[in-house]
Amino acid sequence: MEPSELERFEAIVLPHLDAAYTLARYLTRNDHDAQDIVQDAYLRALKYFGGFRGGGADARDGRAWLLAIVRNTAYTWRRRHRADALATEFDEEQHSDAVADHHPAAALERDGARESLHQALDRLPPEFREVIVLRELEGLSYKEIGDVTGVPIGTVMSRLSRARRRLQEALSAGEKWRVT
Amino acid sequence: MTHRELELQLDAYVDGELEPEDARDLETHLQECADCARRHEARVALSAAIREQIPALHAPDALRGRVRATLRNVAGGSASRPVLPPIAGRWLALAASLAVVAVGSWRLALSRAGEDALAGQVLASHVRSLMPGHLTDVVSSDQHTVKPWFNGRLDFSPPVYDFAGRGFPLIGGRLDYVGGRPVAALVYGRRQHLVNVFLWPATRESLSDPSPVATRQGYHLLRWTTPEYAYWVVSDLGVAELHDFAQLVQQADSAATIPAAARALP
Repeated sequence: MEPSELERFEAIVLPHLDAAYTLARYLTRNDHDAQDIVQDAYLRALKYFGGFRGGGADARDGRAWLLAIVRNTAYTWRRRHRADALATEFDEEQHSDAVADHHPAAALERDGARESLHQALDRLPPEFREVIVLRELEGLSYKEIGDVTGVPIGTVMSRLSRARRRLQEALSAGEKWRVT
Repeated sequence: MTHRELELQLDAYVDGELEPEDARDLETHLQECADCARRHEARVALSAAIREQIPALHAPDALRGRVRATLRNVAGGSASRPVLPPIAGRWLALAASLAVVAVGSWRLALSRAGEDALAGQVLASHVRSLMPGHLTDVVSSDQHTVKPWFNGRLDFSPPVYDFAGRGFPLIGGRLDYVGGRPVAALVYGRRQHLVNVFLWPATRESLSDPSPVATRQGYHLLRWTTPEYAYWVVSDLGVAELHDFAQLVQQADSAATIPAAARALP
């Protein structure tokens, strides 16, 4: 690779390291895995950088492009390295309409513990967690979130809405606990 | 409309992703329906709570150093082919490349659809502005009157120029709503023609020069992106003249904003 090519890559893609780490960290909920995933994602990004630049003016937005690779790397990583509950396929219906047992509010009343918003986020399926991170923390548009997660905008909308509803339930349950 | 549909709309509204017509309908509904107004407040409060309690993170310095070193190593070393990442098997690399190809084509399709939708909105705003009484909220050929008028009406202060000397006198400005957000609309004249300039803070870094986007219903649309703003201009002027105008704005912008690097020089 030409030195100027590497410089271009560094100028376009490296500034998004924080965003990459944030997404990986919230997806894996683990600093060590997140760091490995980010490093791996950057190597892949470098490898596919040629194709990226050929994509027209709009594709010069390195952030969404990099985040798509980070996400892809994280999911592959998870499938390979983890055999826990996370690895179950995401089921839009099953995970959407919170089953009573896993209902954050119900769980809270059962456990009698206050759950922070942070914990509530960690409990969400990754497909919900990532839309919250991409929208609320990174400020991506629906279109960009669709680019990163590879789903239509309508699905982005409904995942975001469901994820928020569940966080809201956790939040209000937490407040109720605090008051009582 | 069902409760579920309303909730979806509410989220899109809070995110500034609702079409202007839908946004206006929803705003009307929020004034009438106390339940939905409460839901709206709760959503706004949730977003604030998320930003407060769930931070965007900084990559550890060690990672930053490691990534930089690895890139230099891989790109600069005698091995010009990037070595396979440590955790990637062959099937994995294939899966990744398929995913990138797929993401690439989604990107294109989505960005084209997005641009089309935006062009439609810009055109609709332009046509609406030509109807009696809709052109300007502030009428002045003085840029120092028009620019401050936006204070408190927008979260940015749009650059306003007067090109009377170049045949494009400033006529005024107004508040408009495009792409799910309030935007500045500036109106310039050219003989009997009107030019609408729409601008809002750029959300991405990709810069572009003025280029024609579309010609619809006899109007031409051009857009470009500066480091600070996304610009759209629309007019019934000829494309060549409209392009000249766009370049005037672009030159005025780059003269007004001195890059940080240049400022640092003596």
